[in-house]
Amino acid sequence: MMTGALARTLAILRKELTDTRRDRRTGTVTLLSAVLAGPIFLLLIFNLIASQADRARDITLPVMGAEYAPAIVAFLQRQQVSVTKAPADYDAQIRRGDLDVVLIIDASFGKDVEQGKRGTVRLVFDRSRDRARPAIDQAESLLRGYNRLWGDQRLMLRGVTTSVADPLLVETADLATPQQSGALVLFLVAYYGLFASVMGGMAVALDTTAGERERQSLEPLLMTPARPAEIVIGKWLAVCAFDALVVTLTLTGFYLTLAFAPLPSVGVPFLFGAREFGRFLLVLVPMMLMLPAILLYVGSRARAYKEAQANVSVLLFVVSLIPLVQLFMQRREPGWLMLVPVSAQYSLLNTSLRGEAPALAQLALSCLAPAALTVIALVAVTRRLSRESILSGK
Amino acid sequence: MITLERLAKAFGKRREVHAVRDVTFDAPDGEITGLLGPNGAGKTTLLRMIATLVVPDAGCALVDGLDAVADRHAVRARIGVLSDARGLYSRLTARENVRYYGALHGLSGAPLEQRIDALFATLGLAPIAERRSAGFSQGERMKVAIARALVHDPDTILLDEPTNGLDIMSVRMLRGELRALRAQGKCLLFSSHVIQEVAALCDRIVVLSQGRVVAQGTACELIARAGTSGLEDAFVALLGSDEGLAA
Repeated sequence: MMTGALARTLAILRKELTDTRRDRRTGTVTLLSAVLAGPIFLLLIFNLIASQADRARDITLPVMGAEYAPAIVAFLQRQQVSVTKAPADYDAQIRRGDLDVVLIIDASFGKDVEQGKRGTVRLVFDRSRDRARPAIDQAESLLRGYNRLWGDQRLMLRGVTTSVADPLLVETADLATPQQSGALVLFLVAYYGLFASVMGGMAVALDTTAGERERQSLEPLLMTPARPAEIVIGKWLAVCAFDALVVTLTLTGFYLTLAFAPLPSVGVPFLFGAREFGRFLLVLVPMMLMLPAILLYVGSRARAYKEAQANVSVLLFVVSLIPLVQLFMQRREPGWLMLVPVSAQYSLLNTSLRGEAPALAQLALSCLAPAALTVIALVAVTRRLSRESILSGK
Repeated sequence: MITLERLAKAFGKRREVHAVRDVTFDAPDGEITGLLGPNGAGKTTLLRMIATLVVPDAGCALVDGLDAVADRHAVRARIGVLSDARGLYSRLTARENVRYYGALHGLSGAPLEQRIDALFATLGLAPIAERRSAGFSQGERMKVAIARALVHDPDTILLDEPTNGLDIMSVRMLRGELRALRAQGKCLLFSSHVIQEVAALCDRIVVLSQGRVVAQGTACELIARAGTSGLEDAFVALLGSDEGLAA
């Protein structure tokens, strides 16, 4: 009897795989977006970072009143800053975002300095503009540097060591490993890997449940000797297979892009080699089993494909929101997080990306809830298929 | 051989819709039994109870002595059903559609392919066997659905309104096929609301109205009982009204 059940389950799996493989339109769209997503995504992000870095490096500083303080201008030019003449309507241009920052030197600068007063310069900017921030910071730190240099020179003229006026020495040690500094970009890689495991199985899962019902082929299927449990497991395995394929292709896209594509250098040494690839797959295994089961359940509740699509958007919303909440919650992650599906996986993906191996105990914990949910969802689908109400409502 | 004893089924929250009430009749082997009734008489529910998909509230349905509830898996292996829902998998070929059902019935390899070849030859499906069913006509779909229902050579065959939407050539083909199956000693139960269809084919007729059997027997017996000149008048007389016959 067991061999009969196995043979039927395999027959269902085989049929679903053939059916899916021949669904050119869905297949092409899903696979193409999976393969291309990584490269396109990374290219965009890298260019964004590179352009910000460029802006910070080659700073152009429009100056108004350069003639009043030629020493400052000379200092700036020695620091590779190209000093330009500020336009008259500089404040309007800053407000519009055309200019990042403008330096204004008072006409009384020279006279004040001669009289032993402090010379006044003004930096004008709009700090609410993220894009302008590196330029603002750069200008501020240059002026501070000049101030310090000037002060030090005056002290030395009076025979005083600079440490008298500067008793505190602040040394910084950034413990971020090179990999960690790419955290934001890596968040996106982890996020996308997680997302691929939802999107991968979606079309197939809905087609094989709600679609089967809509096409009127479910009732004849239920009249065959195939038990509802066999039908559900056969279909589930088929969806899992497709889901795993999409996740693998998505990760391959990332891997190939990071390894071989001529991405602009942004000082973010990415670590997404074969080892990270393997760890990603390992961490995502519970998702690749759980999400197809849940998608099948959502699909089995609907009478038609469209209805199922509407219902599935709730699931999509939850899965895509959890990592975002985690990103903004800048706290140390509590231990119970490993018991929350999606959250745990996201956290472990991040661990992998930081170049660390996820702890085995954590990996095991992260599988608990998805395993339970997988079983619950599969049992629920089986029960739905066993109910008479599945026949009603064409 | 199908035996129904006091079969009943109601739907709705408070079981207020009585789809089938107290239905008792036999459908013997080697005969075509027609289930005649207006729309909503309970034909589909009755067939679904025999096909083990709907559990009766009372009474029992036996197929070759096997109970449709207690032995439902054994019953499923013995029956071939052309149900009201007869969707094919449009991305699979005609042969693959039938092969899938064959595999679910435990067939495989050369015996399965030979069985499919034989069925396709009888049904005239051989020329389109390797084509995907997406582009099939209504008649071609019906033939594939019949092949699918018969792939495991069942002894008991249930057909729910099989001629719906078929052109006259397909209907004639179907009749020929059903007569051939009868000649092989199969038990056929055929539901329809079309009187001519039932009259042309069935050995015995069970008239169903509002879930009850209002009369059963051969066409001649029904006409004699109603005291009318033709089967249509007999049918209307037996129902007590011509409600539901318009469709």
